[in-house]
Amino acid sequence: MNLKSMLCTTALVAATATAANAQSGDWSLAEAAAPYAGTTVDVVFLLRPGYEAIQEMLPAFTEETGININIITHPYENALGEQVRDFVAGGDLDIALIDLVWIGNFAENEWIVPVDDIMARFPELVDPALNMDDFFPLVLNAFGGWNDVIYGLPFDNYSGLMFYNRCMLEEAGFDRPPETWQELMDVYGPALTGDGQYAFALQSKRNETQSADSFARMLWPFGGSFLNEEFRSNLLSAESQAGLNFRQELMQYMPDGIVAWDHAETVNAFAQGEVAMITEWSAFYSSVVDPETSRVADCVAIAPEPAGPAGRRPALGGFSLAVASQADEAEQAAAWLFIQWATSAANAVEYLERGGVPARQSAYSDPALAETYTFIPALVESWQEGVPEFRPRFAEWPEISEVVQEWGTRMMLGEVSVEEGATEIGTRMEEILESAGYYSGDKPLAQ
Amino acid sequence: MRGRTSRKTIFAFIGPSVIALALIGIAPLLYAAWTSLHFFNLTRLRQLRFVGLENYQTVLTDGAFWQAMGRTFFLLGTSLPLQLALGLGIALVLHQPGLTLVKTLCRLSLVLPMATTYAVVGLLGQVMFNQNFGVMNQLLGGADINWIGDPTNAFIMIVFWDVWQWTPFVALVLLAGLTMVPGEVEEAARLETKSWWMILRYVQLPFLVPGLVAVLILRTADTLKLFDMVFTLTRGGPGASTEFISLMIQRVGFRAFDQGLASAQAIILLIITIVLARIYIRVFYKEV
Amino acid sequence: MTRIQRSYAIQLLLLAAIILICVFPFYWMVTTSLKTQVVALQSPPVWIFEPTLANYREALFEDGVLRTLVNSLIIAVSTTALALVLGVPAAFALARFEFRGKKDLWFWFITNRMISPIVLALPFFLIARSFDLLDRHITLVLIYLTFNLPIVIWIVTDQIRGIPYELDEAARMEGASQFTIMTRICLPLAMPGVAVSAIFSFIFSWNELMFGLILTRTEARTAPAMAVSFMEGYDLPYGKIMATSTLIVIPVLIFALIASKQLVRGLTMGAVK
Repeated sequence: MNLKSMLCTTALVAATATAANAQSGDWSLAEAAAPYAGTTVDVVFLLRPGYEAIQEMLPAFTEETGININIITHPYENALGEQVRDFVAGGDLDIALIDLVWIGNFAENEWIVPVDDIMARFPELVDPALNMDDFFPLVLNAFGGWNDVIYGLPFDNYSGLMFYNRCMLEEAGFDRPPETWQELMDVYGPALTGDGQYAFALQSKRNETQSADSFARMLWPFGGSFLNEEFRSNLLSAESQAGLNFRQELMQYMPDGIVAWDHAETVNAFAQGEVAMITEWSAFYSSVVDPETSRVADCVAIAPEPAGPAGRRPALGGFSLAVASQADEAEQAAAWLFIQWATSAANAVEYLERGGVPARQSAYSDPALAETYTFIPALVESWQEGVPEFRPRFAEWPEISEVVQEWGTRMMLGEVSVEEGATEIGTRMEEILESAGYYSGDKPLAQ
Repeated sequence: MRGRTSRKTIFAFIGPSVIALALIGIAPLLYAAWTSLHFFNLTRLRQLRFVGLENYQTVLTDGAFWQAMGRTFFLLGTSLPLQLALGLGIALVLHQPGLTLVKTLCRLSLVLPMATTYAVVGLLGQVMFNQNFGVMNQLLGGADINWIGDPTNAFIMIVFWDVWQWTPFVALVLLAGLTMVPGEVEEAARLETKSWWMILRYVQLPFLVPGLVAVLILRTADTLKLFDMVFTLTRGGPGASTEFISLMIQRVGFRAFDQGLASAQAIILLIITIVLARIYIRVFYKEV
Repeated sequence: MTRIQRSYAIQLLLLAAIILICVFPFYWMVTTSLKTQVVALQSPPVWIFEPTLANYREALFEDGVLRTLVNSLIIAVSTTALALVLGVPAAFALARFEFRGKKDLWFWFITNRMISPIVLALPFFLIARSFDLLDRHITLVLIYLTFNLPIVIWIVTDQIRGIPYELDEAARMEGASQFTIMTRICLPLAMPGVAVSAIFSFIFSWNELMFGLILTRTEARTAPAMAVSFMEGYDLPYGKIMATSTLIVIPVLIFALIASKQLVRGLTMGAVK
């Protein structure tokens, strides 16, 4: 994917639109929104901190614009199905909430409108302060872009971080978190496991958590990947196998039943002081430092994820918001105004303070903020080094993810060996890619 | 013999429900049959094409599908005998004379599990069987059993809840059968023998057979349909240890979005259901 | 202790155990719903704590569970009524008229009860969408007929068949139409069966999850679909989930207890003869 050219076109359109606005005097949200007052925009939200943050800020938006945002909340695991059914059926959603692994899917089906098209169609709605270059390039590219086109603006943004219990580590004689995965297992593992306490917990439940948080997390740092350059399974390569075997071995330092743990269980075990280290999304910061839900609030410290032989490859995940093509003109205009407002640099700090994680570089420039929100340095560092195709983002991912979820968990349970499981995933993954037309040349090899 | 009724009259009585069921029951089925012959993936509708019986071929040769089917029947084979044994025991206790008040109370309590929303049973299971803060391990004397995260234990947990929810049904059906036994016949038998087994086998059993048949039919159908409770409790995990047939079809159709394949699976499930229902009804239920 | 006393003691013990096992999960559900998140997650679980109604307040008034309960009620009542209006005449015809294909027709009705809802879910979704029926009460009312109509037909047919045919004959002699015979003669006598099938329809519809999840979003969302929607993997508010569960289950339990006599009869109807 050519990130530079994509950013250039977008910047160009933005510049043109901005110029148009500059000529017509000062741009104001209220004025731009005036023709669309009373429009209702339907959008799917999740029950997560970033969404609650924007919901708290929403009344100001509605008051200024007269645009109503109708929020339909779903658990993450239902959100994709809900939106796919709505878009297939030509339903009511005006904004798509896109996890980075759904973007290929939504874009190829043309359920979402490229940002450039919106800007070209509604030049008067483009905020001169939009400044696309202010988004972390990796995040904008991975969460919002597909095939050299930007569709969505990054909204609810995560990087995998290492949360560690400083007190437990100090007690065991460590004055710093592990630098590498190997160190975590060989040195920290035995020292921190025992008496009902565990060194580490890796959420591995059989849903997207298994494929994203568990399987992929161990693949990349060891130099492995899902696919090779020909789009054949790379899971049997020495590197991929090393990563998956490492995960298997590391389980001795994790609580039993880790295969059934989702984020909630993992974060809770950490917050109760049962587990010394977890690798979790940045979004959990607010709950582990809240004394009401966390017994270890004072001990929480944050570092980037450990590195593997192939370097630091932290998990990457997050959501963008894009205008839905099924919306009518007024709804599209209103939807754009909302997306632009919710992801704006002007609102980024407030969003952060209310528990969201913005993707605006400018929001993190204030060193005072990094003192309050101790995850910021690790987050910013992670967003410099992430792999956009941490999980392939093409349209076939949801199907492949189902396969990874099934065989990844069976592998962890020891029902099949690592090699057998990887072979099984590989075969089924290639069947899916075959029928999608990647091998016959019908489809470009983009992930 | 009953007289003939005009077609018009018959239709006036039965027509509305036939039409209603045909529209809401058969139309979707036909649609599903059509889908099953196509490559029909919700996220790749542009590739929609006729593929003949390819989906069926995939299903019939897919080990995972038959494993899920086998798991479903294994669940039936595990929980139904338990339900029958416990249900019969409860029915026999309730059938004993005396202690009327407690027995009325007991009968009322038996109604509760059956009426409980299946999804809520699953949610309740999550709370009660949690390894750390679940009450189940506490009641087992502070055991540290990992229920939800271990394949065998998770299966046992599903059996537990299925038995909890449906044993009362079996018990009440069998109890009703027991009360059908004419009092004098039972008394006469009791004078003949002291063995409760002989009485059960030769006096009471004939009256229990119709109830047992109904239980068999309904439990088989409900196990093939089983979705809500498992969906909220384990979602089919860990691994695939509790992925029963309806969960699998839901996963293929609504999570992997392969509607063609899911429809083929659903049609095969439907055929199995109809064949089983036919056999049961032909063999045991000779009414109509 | 005499033999009889001992036998009573054993019986009493068994009965108490049965009652306890049936009721305990509900006790645990209700107490968990009165716990704060911190208390709910304590290990080992606590039995005595300071109860709070915060979970109910939040569920009912902030998350809109109240509305989903109303939706569930509207849908369950309507579908039950519709199933009776359509099903009772059909049951009468199956019990009283002779016609070709009757057996197959009866079998087809009953088979609908056996079909896994997953078979119908997506096609029905697409069809409902094309008629603009998504997220509407009527859609669930209709789809629930696929399992309610068979129940009504199954139970009521059996019940009517138990009514002596001579009564019909006598009425016919006096020139009564079939419709009059059904409403005046058979229906009053078949009332227990009708009541039972209505109770079943109501309970099954109230408890249904899968169609509720797939066919509704906000306007017509049902209570079970709502309870499940708190299960975000990020944070499991067990207190609130149990509060919602209690709100869903309590009405249907009360209903079932009141109607328990009929319920038990219904279970056995068509089975015990």
